[in-house]
Amino acid sequence: MSPSARWSLLAVPAALLLGFIYLWPSLGLFRTAFNETSATGAMIEALSLKVWRELMADSFTYELTLNSLWLSVTATVIALCIAYPISLFLFRTESRFRGLLAVMAIMPMLVSGVVRIFGWLTILGDQGMVNSAARWLGLISTPMHLLFNWTGVTIGLAESILPYMILALLAGFGRLDRALEEASRSLGAPPWRTFLRVTLPLSLPAIVLAAGLGFVLSMSAYITPKLLGGGRVFVLATEIFEHATTNANWPMASAMALYTLALMLGFLALANVLSRRLAQ
Amino acid sequence: MAYLELGGLAKRYRDAVAVADVTLAVEKGESVALLGPSGCGKTTTLRMLAGLIVPDSGRINVNGADITDVPAHKRNMGYVFQSYALFPHMNVEKNVAFGLEERGVAANERKERVATALDKVRLNELAHRRPRELSGGQQQRVALARALVIRPSVLLLDESLSNLDAKLRQTMRREIRDLQRSLAITTLFVTHDQVEALAMCDRIAVMNRGRIEQVGTPADVYERPATRFVASFVGSVNVLPADRDASGGLIVWGAPIPGAKSFASGDTDVFVRPQRMRLVAPSEPVAPETPHLKGKVEQNIFIGDQVETIVSGPGGQVTVQSLSGGAMPCAGAEVKVVWKPEDTLVFPREAS
Repeated sequence: MSPSARWSLLAVPAALLLGFIYLWPSLGLFRTAFNETSATGAMIEALSLKVWRELMADSFTYELTLNSLWLSVTATVIALCIAYPISLFLFRTESRFRGLLAVMAIMPMLVSGVVRIFGWLTILGDQGMVNSAARWLGLISTPMHLLFNWTGVTIGLAESILPYMILALLAGFGRLDRALEEASRSLGAPPWRTFLRVTLPLSLPAIVLAAGLGFVLSMSAYITPKLLGGGRVFVLATEIFEHATTNANWPMASAMALYTLALMLGFLALANVLSRRLAQ
Repeated sequence: MAYLELGGLAKRYRDAVAVADVTLAVEKGESVALLGPSGCGKTTTLRMLAGLIVPDSGRINVNGADITDVPAHKRNMGYVFQSYALFPHMNVEKNVAFGLEERGVAANERKERVATALDKVRLNELAHRRPRELSGGQQQRVALARALVIRPSVLLLDESLSNLDAKLRQTMRREIRDLQRSLAITTLFVTHDQVEALAMCDRIAVMNRGRIEQVGTPADVYERPATRFVASFVGSVNVLPADRDASGGLIVWGAPIPGAKSFASGDTDVFVRPQRMRLVAPSEPVAPETPHLKGKVEQNIFIGDQVETIVSGPGGQVTVQSLSGGAMPCAGAEVKVVWKPEDTLVFPREAS
């Protein structure tokens, strides 16, 4: 056996696990999407495109798609604006607390999503920290509605994808070399010009990669839109769950899940191509 | 007043002194090497000059103007980085044009100056290549063109040749030197390679532990080293611990060293360069004023055009370097090692 073949044996346990918990159910999903649902709600074994036709004919599907896209894009952009400076700082700092700071930045990943949402409820609620502070400062007289609407979901989602984006940015900053920025300065570019002409272009691949990840995570997020949306925010992920549980329409849930998956894969592939082109 | 003046520059980090006190004057058009071992503060000094590091104290003057507090982008220094630091997302032409664009030079003049600069380093044909498509030597030349095209007041080179192979380094050394001379550009360059320093500059500043130990022409520094450190860092040297006789004369391996006096207090070492030593037969008469040691040949080491002969005697070993091709005494042969009295260097022994 060649050395590289021997090394690849190390991937076998992971491959088996993934095959079992991911590939197998996905295939099941794929199969279910071509079943039919009877009038009573029972699933009928079939090989038809009936649910697909229903899905594609329903204008609500497109509304959900636009909702999901809009939410994902805004959450990603907001998270990116926050994650970029943090990552740049973490990437560069020579502080001995660098490790600690990095752990702090990605700490939210270690907390359950549900717990984090309850955190947001106390911060964004009508009597929450934001409204109390704004009222105390005399900025507002009636509370701002920051919960159970798009605002709340966007804020919560942006926060939940933040640590992932910081990690992706840090991993993508490979070509960012301090000497390049120093070269730019020595050639006469003031700091802001250096940022625009050197730092930003060289971190574009990282930005695209992180944005792709943030986007996919936002598209598939369920807990945040569900809990912070208060039943008023409809996106693909919540609707899939709705179909699978409340409506017990598994073929429809499967078809919608596959549709979402295809959408995300498409965007991810696009981000990948873009990132690779920018890296050249 | 010299064109470039560094006065009492110092920089310390939390627990270490990088530069203790550097004072240096460089004339316009002169090329000066900062030579020293790693960690001696030479790169820190260069970076302070470029404005990339803020000194704790001291002043920097260029052409009579104090630029100590001027930010890097307003200093007009051409800095060539050890890693070249070419912008990977720009082609050669854009890299070279960068500094001119930042200075708001008009498009047609810019184009002309970039072309001239690329011409000087013989890279016109590669103007549209990306840096990663170039060899190390070509990248080095782009970095040089990029630094020179802005017509800097001082050219700063940071170990710029250390990433090249030996042969290319030799070519680039001459190329940079010729360019520096023809443009008459004031140049300061940092190196740990004494050959590079000797070959590329008008004067050398030898640095050690954050200070300049000696400034002088290459010949000065080599022939008349001011300190023990300079003597042993620039060129190779035999260090011979010496005893003192009653009248203050020095004794090495039991033999008096004519013309050499010990220091008033403390122990003394005699330094002699291997190239300045000669081997003669033990029977050959030696003038009384010629220093000589008796010893036995341990081995001959052939290093191309030179042969190093290790001679051992009662007080240790010395290395004698001679041109290869002549008859050499075999291992085990008794020999005399002689040198001219003026080649004897004397330094107090280092407290260790």
